[in-house]
Amino acid sequence: MAIHKLEVLVENEPGVLARIAGLFARRTYNIDSLVVGPTENSKISKMIIEVSVEGHSLEQVIAQLDKLINVIRIEEVLEGAISNTKHDTQPDYQN
Amino acid sequence: MAHVPTANGTAMTGATSLVKSLEAAKVDVMFGIPGGAILPAYDPIYDSTIRHILVRHEQGAGHAATGYAQVTGRAGVCIATSGPGATNLVTPLADAAMDSVPLVAITGQVPSVAIGTDAFQEADIRGITMPFTKHNFLVTNPDDIPRVIAEAFHIATSGRPGPVLVDIAKDALQKQTSYNWPTSIDLAGYKPQTQPNKGAINDAAALIAQSAKPIFYVGGGVIKANAARELLELAQLLGAPVVTTLMARGAFPDSHPLHLGMPGMHGTVAAVTGLQKADLLITLGARFDDRVTGKLSTFAPNAKVIHADIDPAEIGKNRYADVAVIGDLRETIKALIPALTATLAKGRADLSPWLASVNKLKATYPLGYDTPADGALSPQFVIERLGKICGPDTIFAAGVGQHQMWASQFISYEKPRTWLNSGGAGTMGYAVPAAMGAKVGAPDTTVWAIDGDGCFQMTNQELVTCALNNIPIKVAIINNESLGMVRQWQTLFYDSRYSNTSLESKRVPNFPMLAEAMGCVGLSCESPADVDATIEKAMSINDQPVVVDFRVHRDAMVWPMVAAGTSNDEIMIARATAPDWDSQEL
Ligand SMILES: Cc1ncc(C[n+]2csc(CCOP(=O)(O)OP(=O)(O)O)c2C)c(N)n1
Repeated sequence: MAIHKLEVLVENEPGVLARIAGLFARRTYNIDSLVVGPTENSKISKMIIEVSVEGHSLEQVIAQLDKLINVIRIEEVLEGAISNTKHDTQPDYQN
Repeated sequence: MAHVPTANGTAMTGATSLVKSLEAAKVDVMFGIPGGAILPAYDPIYDSTIRHILVRHEQGAGHAATGYAQVTGRAGVCIATSGPGATNLVTPLADAAMDSVPLVAITGQVPSVAIGTDAFQEADIRGITMPFTKHNFLVTNPDDIPRVIAEAFHIATSGRPGPVLVDIAKDALQKQTSYNWPTSIDLAGYKPQTQPNKGAINDAAALIAQSAKPIFYVGGGVIKANAARELLELAQLLGAPVVTTLMARGAFPDSHPLHLGMPGMHGTVAAVTGLQKADLLITLGARFDDRVTGKLSTFAPNAKVIHADIDPAEIGKNRYADVAVIGDLRETIKALIPALTATLAKGRADLSPWLASVNKLKATYPLGYDTPADGALSPQFVIERLGKICGPDTIFAAGVGQHQMWASQFISYEKPRTWLNSGGAGTMGYAVPAAMGAKVGAPDTTVWAIDGDGCFQMTNQELVTCALNNIPIKVAIINNESLGMVRQWQTLFYDSRYSNTSLESKRVPNFPMLAEAMGCVGLSCESPADVDATIEKAMSINDQPVVVDFRVHRDAMVWPMVAAGTSNDEIMIARATAPDWDSQEL
């Protein structure tokens, strides 16, 4: 089972953690671990989410996360380094 | 009454700021019921240019806002108080989320200091509605009201439309604030992509030109994007067959020779089989719903997929897309037409064998129904006559059940936004309030609710609202004295054991009397010979809502049918009767 680590920038608003946890629960995605911390911008928090993808594609998980209005950016953390491209739902066709 | 904009910086209460904001968002009507927490807002509503329609149940407000949105394309607005008022909006919000309806729901909340204390009429409506709103807000600072309202309308109506809830604490409505309508909206995490990628358009055009068996799989997104005219042009350019899903009826004229009808569980043999046998699905604003695909692993097994949608998360959700085009569908189709014209000019597959085979299916397996030998009234006949007599300009809003499927099958829809129903959620009780909202949005158009005797008993109280507010809708109750669709499943899958599906509604209630009691005209019809005259009578009454109790026989079933969880290849045209595949070449 593949585990992916996502770095997610979110607006620091009440309820944002519930939105993300609720999304994972209702779409039956598995959170392995979740860490929330501040960024240099007090209006933005950073979440590190480890998600084990089983029966869903990582693209689908990211696309659904991206639909949350409070989610600003999602990046996959690869082997200790953050991939510097924003994750696309369909890499070939999104601008 | 012309709306006079309020200058930014004007001092007022949060409640007045809310109403000024709704005016600035160009709201012309809202549906609601007051109560303690929202009461401060109802005072400035009293003076507002916005028409407020006092409903009899908040669920009615929500579905009315939906009906309004579905006919006008603008956001529907509903308003309720905290606690039970807000929770009564839950069903219409879930309904609107499933069918991508732009809705803004305003709810009052207990005062901010009381939030979290189980105060009187406190309900965490933001928490409750998180899963099925596109977004929601809790406002405790009155200064935030104009910005939040502007954002709510922006989110509800742009990108993939959807419901947005704004919950406002009572003290935020009461406090003084200064009104500041934002000049621009900038949401860091919300930037829907409307312009399709050029490379994707070219890839789609190339795939289409290579296909010998293409089919347009058209969903409700085409109607939301106002792209029906563009679709007609594209379909005629390619000359490929078209299917329109339950949410897309009217997106492509039913009378058009390329139209194979509706796909899915109760789709036509030609539409269902056309998708199964195609080598390319040109998917426009559809989402591979399980009621369309049947058993997903066997759906359209030989087809490549072009998937055009405004919502990137629909791509690859249920079915892999060979080419994905993300963007507004109207823009997408407008870009695809010249790209395809250029590609086809270089050479194109001969589609005539494919068209011949789907047309043969269409001719061999038209929709039909049996007429009972004892002269009893057929539900399908009533619905067919309604469509014929009222014509293609009429708006029909259906409830949920057998009558909904027949209303989709036996009425010819020629124009977008003339067919309203609860497709994704299947909400019984949708029809009467949705028809009310539709009539408010399109007052010069005839609006019929086609409802079941079961559904009607869930929300008919809104006929009082219609009668008192000069909203003369018409309701056809298809009274089979049963929860017919459930009864059909019991007939087919539970050995005809009719557990709790008999409503006895030919005895109680007396629907015409109930209608009269609510200030409507009540009519009744039991014989096929009287159907036309009854419909004409109903059509002649335009100053009052009309309810017709069509007393039909209870054993009619909806065919064709693909049983839930089975493959579309197992479509049945009648009980235990499959199409005669041997005589078909596909
Ligand atoms: C709110 C709600 N409750 C239950 C159902 C399940 N259900 C689907 S169709 C149906 C029967 C509807 O009966 P009626 O309105 O008489 O329509 P008919 O099928 O007889 O045309 C029921 C109970 C539903 N869709 N919605």
